[in-house]
Amino acid sequence: MMRRFALLWLVLAFQMTAWAHKASDSYLVVDVKGNAITAQWDIALRDIDFALGLDRDGNAEITWGELRARQSDLSAWALSRLELTRSGGCPLQVTSLQVDEHTDGGYAVLHLVGVCPAASGPLGLQYRLLFDLDSLHRGLLRLTLDDATHTTVISPTSGALQFGAMQTSRWAQFKQYLVEGVWHIWIGFDHILFLLSLLLPAVLVFQMRRWQGVANFGAALREVLWVVTSFTAAHSITLSLAALGLVSLPSRLVESAIALSVVLTAANNLWPVVERRRWLVAFGFGLIHGFGFASVLAELGLPADALALSLLGFNAGVEVGQMAIVAGFLPVAFLMRNTRFYLRGVFVLGSWLTMLVALIWLLERALDLKLLTA
Amino acid sequence: MYGILLALPARSVPRTPADDAVVIEKLPFRAGDSRARELDILRASARNAPGDAVAAAALAQAYFDMAQARSDPRYIGYADAVLSQYKQPVSVDLLVLRGMLRQYRHDFDDALGDFAAALAQDPERASAHAWRGAIFLVVAQYDNARKECAALLRLQRPVLYGGCTGLTQAYTGQLTLAYKTLQQALTLARYDDQRLWLLTRMGEVSTWLGQSARAERHYRDALALGRDDGYLLAAWADFLLDQKRPAEVVQWLAAWETSDSLLLRLAEAETTQQLPGAKAHVQALDDRFAAAKLRGDTTHRAEEARFQLRLRKNSALAVQLAAANYQIQKEPRDLRVLLEAALAARDPDAAKPAREWLQSTGFEDAHMRTLAAHILQLQPLVKKQVSAP
Repeated sequence: MMRRFALLWLVLAFQMTAWAHKASDSYLVVDVKGNAITAQWDIALRDIDFALGLDRDGNAEITWGELRARQSDLSAWALSRLELTRSGGCPLQVTSLQVDEHTDGGYAVLHLVGVCPAASGPLGLQYRLLFDLDSLHRGLLRLTLDDATHTTVISPTSGALQFGAMQTSRWAQFKQYLVEGVWHIWIGFDHILFLLSLLLPAVLVFQMRRWQGVANFGAALREVLWVVTSFTAAHSITLSLAALGLVSLPSRLVESAIALSVVLTAANNLWPVVERRRWLVAFGFGLIHGFGFASVLAELGLPADALALSLLGFNAGVEVGQMAIVAGFLPVAFLMRNTRFYLRGVFVLGSWLTMLVALIWLLERALDLKLLTA
Repeated sequence: MYGILLALPARSVPRTPADDAVVIEKLPFRAGDSRARELDILRASARNAPGDAVAAAALAQAYFDMAQARSDPRYIGYADAVLSQYKQPVSVDLLVLRGMLRQYRHDFDDALGDFAAALAQDPERASAHAWRGAIFLVVAQYDNARKECAALLRLQRPVLYGGCTGLTQAYTGQLTLAYKTLQQALTLARYDDQRLWLLTRMGEVSTWLGQSARAERHYRDALALGRDDGYLLAAWADFLLDQKRPAEVVQWLAAWETSDSLLLRLAEAETTQQLPGAKAHVQALDDRFAAAKLRGDTTHRAEEARFQLRLRKNSALAVQLAAANYQIQKEPRDLRVLLEAALAARDPDAAKPAREWLQSTGFEDAHMRTLAAHILQLQPLVKKQVSAP
């Protein structure tokens, strides 16, 4: 016994420094598209030898022939330790066997295919390879489920895993469209000018046939929120209708109408017709701007499996972009509302310029001319 | 998790060998090998008597010994799987084994608990005291280690006692005394593996004392015993590297590529000498650390820190790894890599725990004291840079 105790010291000292090899891993790459499964499973030859005994001639070398001779045993063993489900079991089969090298030696590569009873819904995966023999074994999984990628390390305590079609990837998709929405409002000068034309008078009131500053910030803020929210609500409606293919308008008409909306809004600042309830103007013209956004979205393309989420993301992005403009504009405009600079320079001259630019756009778009370079 | 995303695609392309005779893997040993036969017998008896704690313990112990001999963690997994048929260890042997497996995974607190539970059932269990002593040394709890050493003396295990006490003395700044204690134990040692272990440790203590000629003699005596031992080879290679004799490291370690820690030393020696094989070995180490990270393994950060520091010249990452390792393990080599990395990264704050250790223990290694002094000089200079990433 003495000897064994002495060994313990060796063992401990040894491990603390002399790490070697790595523990056992298998690499499982699964691709699920609808009800069709393709997979590649790399299992260490040493592990297969430990579980099944591959080295037939006992020379401590595994040959390709020795592995091939046991292909059916290997397939049966491996497949009995992996279950995939999509509203019911997806029976798997091995289509071919190859080999590969990883950092710790040779691996058998099993190519698998399978068919699930359903083409949608969450995917269940249960992995049990080697856990009965080696509790340090880990399955390194990369799963592509309808174009969404999941990676995870499977251990004996992982149990049955569930991968939803919605999850991380959906959030990423939502974010992507959100960013596109923000980006589009920022580079869409016609939308910005329309919004600014509506916002310029928000810090003013038209009294006794002249514009003057509003009394308090709250009034201006309320006005702005009404305007922006109606604009968003309106363009969300038409954007969704167009994106879903329910309504379709010729783009020349839409673009011209957008330009016209800017002309009219700017003109309304100079010769007020609508001084109150500007939100109604915002809503009405917002319906037209929504068709404009839809053409952008059509270029981006909407993912068929996440239509609503992407639409929501894009709309939310447009809203966020607008809010950023408002947040930058409103405090400054409110502070300057009673100055000559704002009343004359920004408001009157700004509206004139806006109207002029929008008129040129209108001519360009309606008559298909090129007056201003984009 | 992100590591997985990056690492999985970086795989080679599967191939179909042209010929049945192509060798696709080499196994650790032949099926007819005596060790293989011994394992077969133990496996069979464990299989034929499910629930038999004695058979299970014998098989798990054999796997554990194999993990040590081959420096191969797969056998640790095998041993662990044998134990996992029991919800709770049903015998003292199984308790001790579970403790051994837990310390292997650096789960030191639970391992100490298992050994304590084993001792509660069997106070004569010297191995449990030896393990506890070893763990206390790793986590730098030297008073606790001394208690375990004393228990080994009480149980009349003079060689174990000598090893335990010698190391405790060495780690607490009494190198000369430590050397004498180990020397004394060596005269009592009856087996080659005991001698090998003691000679290796005497080599290390002599190195710390600055007595290179004596250290080399001890290492050579240990190597002359003709047993494969990864720890000895690693210590010997470190000695040679410090002595600026990389050519000899390459000779000794040429056939040890499979061991990560020895491959690290080999790659260092090859890089110093600008040998053509260096690049491939550095890449192989990179791949292996990436593979370990993939499965969430953090038990070899000390090695990885040294790799990043010396071979990748990434001192910022090295100091991170070394500091994280030092949270868990506090032996001289852990300390040294932390000091070296902190110095290279010009980050005296990271080295603070290590300098405190040197101060409180009075550890005498001249090299490390010099490192610590350099870091101290660094301090005023670096104040500005501390916030830099």
